[in-house]
Amino acid sequence: MKKGIFYIVFAIAGLLVFGGCTKEPVDDAGLLVTGRSQCYMSFFDLLGSDHRTVLVSGSMQIDTVAQTVTAVARFGTNMTRVKPYSSVVTDATVEPRMGEWVDFSQPMQYTVVSGNRKVRKTYTITVTVQK
Amino acid sequence: MNKNLTYLAVAVISCLGLAACEKTTVAVLEPLKNDLLKKTTGPAVIGTRVEFAYAIGANDGTVQNVKAEASVAGATGTGFSGFSWYTDRATGVDKPLQTATDTVTNGMVSTAKILDVSNKAVTLRYYYNVPEAARGQLVTFKFSGTSSAGKEVTFTSPGYQISKMDMTRSIVLEDGKKAYFSIADMKAYTKEEVEQGNLSGKIDFVYIYRPTISTYTFGHAMVSLANKSYINDLNLPAAWTKAATRLDKRVDIRDAQLRGSGFDSYIDDIDLEKTTFTNAADYAYGLTADQGAFVTSADGTYVAYLFVNAVNNTAKTMTVSLKRLKVK
Repeated sequence: MKKGIFYIVFAIAGLLVFGGCTKEPVDDAGLLVTGRSQCYMSFFDLLGSDHRTVLVSGSMQIDTVAQTVTAVARFGTNMTRVKPYSSVVTDATVEPRMGEWVDFSQPMQYTVVSGNRKVRKTYTITVTVQK
Repeated sequence: MNKNLTYLAVAVISCLGLAACEKTTVAVLEPLKNDLLKKTTGPAVIGTRVEFAYAIGANDGTVQNVKAEASVAGATGTGFSGFSWYTDRATGVDKPLQTATDTVTNGMVSTAKILDVSNKAVTLRYYYNVPEAARGQLVTFKFSGTSSAGKEVTFTSPGYQISKMDMTRSIVLEDGKKAYFSIADMKAYTKEEVEQGNLSGKIDFVYIYRPTISTYTFGHAMVSLANKSYINDLNLPAAWTKAATRLDKRVDIRDAQLRGSGFDSYIDDIDLEKTTFTNAADYAYGLTADQGAFVTSADGTYVAYLFVNAVNNTAKTMTVSLKRLKVK
């Protein structure tokens, strides 16, 4: 009887040890690949050289069906040196990476990639300046 | 059982015995000791003052003299102060107390004689006014003191880097008047002065105040003469050189030296050396107090940070201070 209990405990411990070693998949950037297939952008912002938003309050609109973002930047904004930021659905990523200085004087395209990395949706972002 | 208790007692006694045998060191009183504190935290810019607190105390005899020797002679005003400071317990206010006399600076060497009233231990201020000769160099200081017992102590400081920057404070720019600013000269000119002195080639930007442009808020701005959008109403002469200066607005850099007080945050040489202006605008607008802009002259000779000390919408003025580095 005692021997049987010992074997059971040993087996559970073994399972726990091996179970703990399961390797979660990660993408090239080292980010966790999950099972989520949702793929959309939920928020967008654009910062000027002073790291403050250049967008007119309430002007940003996202159409997740048409996959477009439109916004209006304040009068005087230097659109050739701005830094975009966005929020996306849980576990999704954006390509190319945001948060870097870019020229936004023309519409830009960013692709949202789902958590399972199987769904890709390219958004066209257009920001016009008050004139 | 009794045997176990005996063993346990022996072990405890042994431990106590070993702990009691730890070596304790008794500090030997030195006859004369000294120490140094550098109080100034900002960059040592030419024309500014670096403050040190030099402390010295005697166990044998009394402190008689102190001396400081800088590796590069300081500018006028360098030397020991004759006063020490203490905090008034009733008010919390720091108050001076004279503890030294005969404070003299001759070249690189500054000396002071300690007064009899405070001759056992004293902390004196030593001020080093950064001279032009030290620009870009490492400067070290050798402090020393003597006691009545004939003892001498010395304290050699580490090397302190002297900045290569220039700094000017509180320049008032006035829309339509002293509005044309030259980083090379670190001063503002009127349009007439620029015209008469043929200075347009060294003008980096013009200051304007426009509450609105095309119904949109604009405010206080620095605009390059090459800008084609915001200074058309200035009707600049066609013959003027209109250099495309680059400006990069900032709202979160409150340099304590430019501001005059408030924050232990500083623009140093490396900030001006490393700042890049890729796709930077040729204007900075909507400026208010405590904001500023990195600016580079069109030919890249100078990089500067202009800090806005104050703006006045009624008088149409903006008071600025700047740090400037020649990078070419």
